[in-house]
Amino acid sequence: MTTGPPGLPRLAGLAGETPHAPALEISGLTVRYGQVLAVADACLTVEAGQVVALIGETGSGKTSLALAAARLLPRSAAVTGLITIAGYEVSGLTASDFRRMRAGLVGCIAQDAMAALNPVVPVGRQVGEVFAVHAGMDRRQAAGAAVAALAQVEIRRPAAVARLYPHQLSGGMRQRVMIAMAMALSPPLIVADEPTKALDVSTQAEILGLIGELRARMHSGFLWITHDMGVVAELADRAAVMYAGRIVEIGQVEQIFDAPAHPYTLGLLQTRRDLRSGPAGAPLFQIPGSPPAHGSERAGCPFLPRCSRSTQVCAEVNPGLVPAGASGHLSACHHPASAADATAVTA
Amino acid sequence: MARAVIRRLVFGLIAVIGVVTLAFVLEFVVPGDPAKAIAPRAQSPAVLASIRAQLHLNQPVIVQFADYFGNLLRGNLGTSYVQHQPVASLIGPRLLTTGALALAGVVAEVIMGSALGILATLYGRVRALVGAINLTLLAVPIFVLGLVLLLVFGFRLGIAPVTGGAGAAQLALPALTLGLIGAPWYAQIVADQMQDSLASSYVRTAVSKGLSDAYILRRHVLRNVLSPAITMIGLDLGAYLSGVVTVEVVFVWPGIGLLAVNALHDLDRPIVMGTVIVGAVAVVFFNLVADVARMFVDPRTREEL
Repeated sequence: MTTGPPGLPRLAGLAGETPHAPALEISGLTVRYGQVLAVADACLTVEAGQVVALIGETGSGKTSLALAAARLLPRSAAVTGLITIAGYEVSGLTASDFRRMRAGLVGCIAQDAMAALNPVVPVGRQVGEVFAVHAGMDRRQAAGAAVAALAQVEIRRPAAVARLYPHQLSGGMRQRVMIAMAMALSPPLIVADEPTKALDVSTQAEILGLIGELRARMHSGFLWITHDMGVVAELADRAAVMYAGRIVEIGQVEQIFDAPAHPYTLGLLQTRRDLRSGPAGAPLFQIPGSPPAHGSERAGCPFLPRCSRSTQVCAEVNPGLVPAGASGHLSACHHPASAADATAVTA
Repeated sequence: MARAVIRRLVFGLIAVIGVVTLAFVLEFVVPGDPAKAIAPRAQSPAVLASIRAQLHLNQPVIVQFADYFGNLLRGNLGTSYVQHQPVASLIGPRLLTTGALALAGVVAEVIMGSALGILATLYGRVRALVGAINLTLLAVPIFVLGLVLLLVFGFRLGIAPVTGGAGAAQLALPALTLGLIGAPWYAQIVADQMQDSLASSYVRTAVSKGLSDAYILRRHVLRNVLSPAITMIGLDLGAYLSGVVTVEVVFVWPGIGLLAVNALHDLDRPIVMGTVIVGAVAVVFFNLVADVARMFVDPRTREEL
């Protein structure tokens, strides 16, 4: 990145001042919806140009965490903790101050591009809005910039596509439009919520390739929510595993895949291994039990009821994230898996 | 799109023919002798018989229908039994007065309904109040509301004429009545659509682009409210143009509704048929206009029409 986000005079020196600031730093992030604890005390760093995958079951809090990081949660959600994007602490800003700078700081790619695009507005105008509002362009300039942005995401005949409505595009095209919108101002951080989930396999591969290319060019950091371990392996540098609103393991992707420390991660990987190379007809491995209903706040480890390794201490003390083996690899377990357990699963 | 419009026109024509047939049959089910209505004091059966013969009333229904339909195809709506004038020339001016009332009523209900709906969506504190207003307006019979308005603004405050007639001043109260009766429906549609839209994923996308609330409301939310509102406006215009009987009677507004009521009373079949046909055509026409208008507002409907 050689220039600050356009239209943001206060950030003019962004790149120069903090060239090595991480794309995203969150610490002590807690999200509550009324009585429900969705995210508990999460800490996470996304370095510039890095992809951090956020893995976990439905309801584990990964979407809440990501939306909180982008300050996109509804006002009814109570968010506490520190959020810093590209060196700017945004958690302390008022909503209107953050609104003015947000498009230059964080772009969002939604899971279902059909729903995430306005059905009654041509896609070109939806992309152009970003330029019109933040780069001070008039309508025609913004339309031109939108066409250029569509060309950037490798949409053929971008000028014609710009005039179309979302329902006239294929799923892959719609997702490209979303990406063009999110990356319009080359923000240092992109929050992506399973952007390839609704796509067929070949389109998925195209989109992943495109994002990889754009990442290399723009050097944006990605916070990437996914269920798909294949995507994690292919794209992510680091992975964070969430369970019941907590990050229970975080590390380099190789560390997570080759030497998982948390029993929950182990279970996830075993399910995947059975799917890929288990004997035909044999039952797939399942993690016994089901996750607690929305972030229980009782004492002890939230994974306890489903864990085969639990002891007395697990019922009394909620384990914090502690180093597990290699540097940068943390897990929250009193009885982390040994290398032997891991090999059994990942072999 | 042109093909779709033509297809709709054909279906509309079939609907109109159906309504004409039904109305014609119904007239023969209604008890009463038009000849007696025309000459109430004529005692001699010979006079009545000659009237019937003159109007072809003594012929079989099927022949009468064929005659009527043949005339209709030639653009002839017949002649009033009582007023002895061509039906078309009686309905023509009434169409203008009813049209003015229908238009003013729709404008009033859209403005008041949208205002209520938007207020209820954006300001949680007035939501219950708006709900109460909606419920009250829905519960009040239209003639009661009309009479109350007439009493308050006409007789008490003296700021609206009470004499009837088709002037601009006389239009205010009947239009207000229509507006108040119709407003809750628009309030509900606008509020529902706005809530859906505000909770939608595309509004979150708009927020993530750093657009201001006012901009999002204007460019992303209200556009999505327009489409169902347009459908309802089309339905209302069609319905009102076929005669807003109660309102026209209460305010003595010389429209189609008033004409139709008097014609029914007089057993003046050609006029009744004429008003029915005008109503059917109005409903078909404004539905089509609404569908075409929706295609401009919501591109998704271009394919489904």
